[in-house]
Amino acid sequence: MEKPKAIADRETCLACGGCISVCPQDAITMQSSKASVDRDGCISCAICIKICPVGAIKWEGCQ
Amino acid sequence: MKYDVVVVGSGPAGSITARFAAKSGAKVLIIERRQVVGEPVLCGEGISKKVDDFKVLEGKRWIANNMDGARIFSPDGTVVKLTAELAGSETGYVVYRNIFDQELAREAIKAGVKLMLNTCAVDLIRDKGKIKGVKAKQFGDEFDIEADIVVGADGVESRVGKWAGINTTLKPHDLETCVQYTLTNIECDSGYCDFYIGKNYSPGGYVWVFPKGKDVANVGIGVLGSLSESGKAHELLDRFINAHPELKKGEPIRFLAGAVPVGEPIEATRDNLLLVGDAARQVDPITGGGLMASIEAGKAAGETIGKAVKEQRFDKGFLSSYEKKLEPELYRKLKRNYVVKEILLGFEDKTLNMLADSLKDYKFDEISTFSLVKALVKKHPSLLIKLKPLMKVSRM
Repeated sequence: MEKPKAIADRETCLACGGCISVCPQDAITMQSSKASVDRDGCISCAICIKICPVGAIKWEGCQ
Repeated sequence: MKYDVVVVGSGPAGSITARFAAKSGAKVLIIERRQVVGEPVLCGEGISKKVDDFKVLEGKRWIANNMDGARIFSPDGTVVKLTAELAGSETGYVVYRNIFDQELAREAIKAGVKLMLNTCAVDLIRDKGKIKGVKAKQFGDEFDIEADIVVGADGVESRVGKWAGINTTLKPHDLETCVQYTLTNIECDSGYCDFYIGKNYSPGGYVWVFPKGKDVANVGIGVLGSLSESGKAHELLDRFINAHPELKKGEPIRFLAGAVPVGEPIEATRDNLLLVGDAARQVDPITGGGLMASIEAGKAAGETIGKAVKEQRFDKGFLSSYEKKLEPELYRKLKRNYVVKEILLGFEDKTLNMLADSLKDYKFDEISTFSLVKALVKKHPSLLIKLKPLMKVSRM
């Protein structure tokens, strides 16, 4: 089974850039002033999920 | 489009670097991905009055509040006061960061710098491996900006450094993840910037209350990345406000999130490229303050770039003289404070209470993290063993 992937919620993201600075795969970029996770680059390490101050990054499929 | 220097990012580090490079005769362009310089604000907005010594800002429009000092609240509520009672002691300002940044950009423009808004750097231009400028995007159009030197002043999430092969990835342990409300209709006329420490307030960070006026303050929190969980900073800040009636009755006029690098400065130069400010991790790891470091480093970077353009020397060897210039003072201080940060992170709340109690009547010679550390060493020689590596760094 494929590991879960991180996904950023554009509605919640406040564009602080923290997730981009810690992503070990350089898989997160700012797209139109909101964080966006590149699905293929994500290695499911969860670092971005843990450090998001407002909980804008979650596992895909988890609401 | 051909410039001597293209600067990515119009924050304080970018504007100051650009300005000092332009003053030395370089042709400089700043590109800024946002549509307004300085907004949205991503900052607690506190700065030391030492900023005045640099004479980089005119007027006072950027100052929101003139502070008398700082108070540190330990987990059990013991207060350590750092005040301006002693002659010559410098305190701090709470600033309007958007105006602060716009004033610095304006000064850069006065020095001849060009500024393009809504313009995002998407990659470096290379010719046979050599950096030749940046690929930029504005309103959907992609174009090349050629330059002999690329400056990455692109903040905590710096991409410019990564493109040049500099490892800018932060360990969660070296990141403070932050949120902040600007609360109005509260009572905060103490004249102090307040810091609340201890793991109940914030694991590996602190809560701050920085008054911007008599009834308005920035109330924020930083949590160490390695001790954070999803949404934790926001949750803990709400808990803090709910527990403080004088803040709870307020209403927010602004909410923001931020990320602060609290590691050590990283290698900041390559052939034809340098990093400055948060991108180069030029931030005080104890307080998370980066404004003063950005100004100091930006000035050094700009002056070095000015010389580089005059002599047409763009190699790493030449550009890294900017870092060497920072080594004896700024970098020494930041590295020392990183050691102190590590020591402080190891302290339990009861140790923090004990330390606060021993300093509650202490007269500090200045308002700085250094004077606080000096006082700790003086009061607790037994802690000297733990602080020994720090002393080694400070003698360097």
